[in-house]
Amino acid sequence: MPQLDTSTWFTTVLASSITLFILMQLKISFHDLHKKPSNKYLKLFKPTNPWEQKWTKIYSPLSLPQP
Amino acid sequence: MNENLFSSFITPTLMGLPIIILIIMFPPVIMTSSKRLVNNRFHTFQQWLIKLITKQMMAIHSPKGRTWSLMLASLIIFIGSTNLLGLLPHTFTPTTQLSMNLGMAIPPWAGAVILGFRHKMKDSLAHFLPQGTPIPLIPMLVIIETISLFIQPMALAVRLTANITAGHLLMHLIGGATLVLTSISLPTAMITFIILIMLTILEFAVALIQAYVFTLLVSLYLHDNT
Repeated sequence: MPQLDTSTWFTTVLASSITLFILMQLKISFHDLHKKPSNKYLKLFKPTNPWEQKWTKIYSPLSLPQP
Repeated sequence: MNENLFSSFITPTLMGLPIIILIIMFPPVIMTSSKRLVNNRFHTFQQWLIKLITKQMMAIHSPKGRTWSLMLASLIIFIGSTNLLGLLPHTFTPTTQLSMNLGMAIPPWAGAVILGFRHKMKDSLAHFLPQGTPIPLIPMLVIIETISLFIQPMALAVRLTANITAGHLLMHLIGGATLVLTSISLPTAMITFIILIMLTILEFAVALIQAYVFTLLVSLYLHDNT
């Protein structure tokens, strides 16, 4: 059995671990495994208004500094 | 003849330089990946395969075990592609090397066992003693279970080595017999040739099954420990 000759083991183990743990995992992680397109929640898209739609506290006449 | 039979398992060298590094690094090199949304057939097949493996292997795991999915997917694809490339004529199969299989088996096994001892100390220690053991047998059984724990990666590596080596040897032997028989009697040679073809088909199946079995056992050790 030439497999039991330990003189080549270091090279083989080094090459295989580099290949398996670095090269192969990099290759697989570069795949773009995208999800299927799905509907988006419309509620997330809040329209942005340049004006305020309600009176905030600081604009309320009652909260203004009273004389 | 004996030397000739095993000569295909000697680590190849070219002018004294070990070219096994290049041979081992070959499967990842041909497996290219692209970032495009619509890919060609090869990339689509790879993505389908990765998704299939992840779905099949990772369904049983806890969220902590699922962090290993990249590792296990790369393991099965690497072993499978190496085995399949090794079936081409005049090639060297790195998976026939015991050293390489030990190098692939020990780190994941050790990682799983250390993970188990780190996070699930009681459960991992409970594996050393089956439930309902008679008290006089306890020291004996703990020793046996400890040995069986440490023999797991050896069994993993030797299984892969033995399967691939045996397949290659059988194909070598029957191929040689067919070649000799063609000059003696053609009908007998035809029978051997058919057997050779069937064996080759079996070897293709074995190449994939052994990759699957290796990964499944690593996944099982992980499942026991997370």
